[in-house]
Amino acid sequence: MPGETHNGMQCNEFETLLFDALDQKLSEGQQERFRAHARVCGKCGPMFAEVEAGQHWLKSLAEVESPANLVNEILAATTGIQSYRLQAPAAAEHRASLGERIREWADSLFAPVWGTVRQPRFAMSFGMAFFSLSVALSVAGVKPTDIKSADLSRSGLRRTYYTTTARMVKYYENIRLVYEIESKVQEIKKVTRPDERKQEKERERNHKNNTSGDPEPRQERNYSRDENQPVLASGPQNPLAVSVITTRRDV
Amino acid sequence: MEDAQIVNSLVRRCIAGDAVAWEEIVQRYNRRIYNICYRFAGSADDAQDLTQEVFIKMYRTLSSYDVERGAFMTWLTTMTRNLLVDHFRKTKQDRVTDSMDAAPSEHEDAMPLSEQIEDKRLPPDARVQSRETGEVVHEALQKLSPELREAVILRDLQDMDYRDIAAVLKVPEGTVKSRINRGRAELARLLQRIYRQVM
Ligand SMILES: [Zn+2]
Repeated sequence: MPGETHNGMQCNEFETLLFDALDQKLSEGQQERFRAHARVCGKCGPMFAEVEAGQHWLKSLAEVESPANLVNEILAATTGIQSYRLQAPAAAEHRASLGERIREWADSLFAPVWGTVRQPRFAMSFGMAFFSLSVALSVAGVKPTDIKSADLSRSGLRRTYYTTTARMVKYYENIRLVYEIESKVQEIKKVTRPDERKQEKERERNHKNNTSGDPEPRQERNYSRDENQPVLASGPQNPLAVSVITTRRDV
Repeated sequence: MEDAQIVNSLVRRCIAGDAVAWEEIVQRYNRRIYNICYRFAGSADDAQDLTQEVFIKMYRTLSSYDVERGAFMTWLTTMTRNLLVDHFRKTKQDRVTDSMDAAPSEHEDAMPLSEQIEDKRLPPDARVQSRETGEVVHEALQKLSPELREAVILRDLQDMDYRDIAAVLKVPEGTVKSRINRGRAELARLLQRIYRQVM
C-alpha cells in the first residue's frame, strides 16, 4: 500500500507529513493535498483520525501537582537541610531572609520545648519566677521610672501582678531560648550577609540611644523586625523577650 | 534575564556551593520532573521516589552540565528519562515472574492491549464508568510500550520540541515523529476499545 497514490500524494509521503500536519506546520498547498489524501485513502484516513484522537486524549491530561513534601524531601536527601524559605507559593520567587531562616530553624528545633513551656502549669510557674525576679531587680536598684505605674499597696500589687504576669509569662517563655539561640544566631550571622550585620550594629546603636526603659515600644520593635531583619527567636505567636531583659539588666 | 541565563547562573552558584540556588532549582523543576515520572511510571509513589532519585543524581552530577552549551532542560530530561528506563527494566524483570509483562513490540499492529487493561474483578463498564476520564487515559498510557510512551509524554504532555526529544532519546528526528504518531494512534485505539465496551 505504501506505493498507492491518491490526489498526487503517496501513502508514505502522507505518513511523513502526518506529524507536521498535526503541528500545523504544513504549507497551504501541502495541507490541501494532505486533507484530500486523507479523505479518499482507506488506510491513511482512519490513521489520521486515530493519531489526532490520541493527541486530543493526551492533551486532555492535566498536569498534576507534585506532593507537598517533595521539595523538602529532596533537599533533605541532597543538602541535608530543609527548605530555606517558607513553602508558601507566594514565597517561591523571593529569597529567604535571614530572619525566616532563623525562625524556621528555631521552630523546628524547639517545637517540643514550646509544647511543654506553653502548658498552663509550666507557664504559671515561669510567670511567678519572673515576677519574683522583677521584684528582686527593683529592690536591687531598678529605677522606679522603669515600672511606670508602680503601686505598692496590696491591692495595687495584686492588680499589677495579674496584668504584668500575663505579659511576663510570655516574656519569660522566651528567656531560656533566647540565650540558647543567641549563640547559634551569632554563628549564622557570621556566615550570612555582612550587610545584615551592619544593619544589626546600627540597630544596636539606636538601641543604646533609647533609654526610656519602657518595654512596650521595644516589644513593638520586635514585631517590626519580621520583614527583613534577623529575628532572634520566636515561638509561635510570641513576642521576643530579649530587649526587655537586657533593658532591665542595663539599668 | 532570559530563562536560560537565569538557569545557568543558578547552576553556577549551585556548583559553587550555594544551597539557596540549589533549592531554587529544585523549586523550579520538581513539578515537571514529577509529572514526567508520574505519567511514565504510573503510580504517585513511584513518581515521588523517582523524582527524588533524579534530583539526587542531578545534585551529584551538576558540575558535568555544560553551562556554555546550555540546554539545561534537555540535560535534565535526559537524566530523568534514563532513570525511568532503568526503573522500567527493573520492574519489568520483577513482572516477568508473575507473567504480567506484556510490553508490546514497537510494531503498531502487535497490540493485544485492551485485554490487559481489563480488570478481572469488575465488568469493564462498571470499571470505566466509576472513574474519571483522566484516570482511564492515564492507565491506558501505561499500556503503551515504553518507547512510545516516553515519546508522547515528552511531546504532548511536556510540549517539548521533537528535535529536543530526539536529543533526549538519542534517535533520529524521523524516528521521534513516527513514535509520537504511533503512540497517539495506539492510545486512541486502546481508549476506543475501552469506551466501546461501555456503550
Ligand atoms: Zn494513503
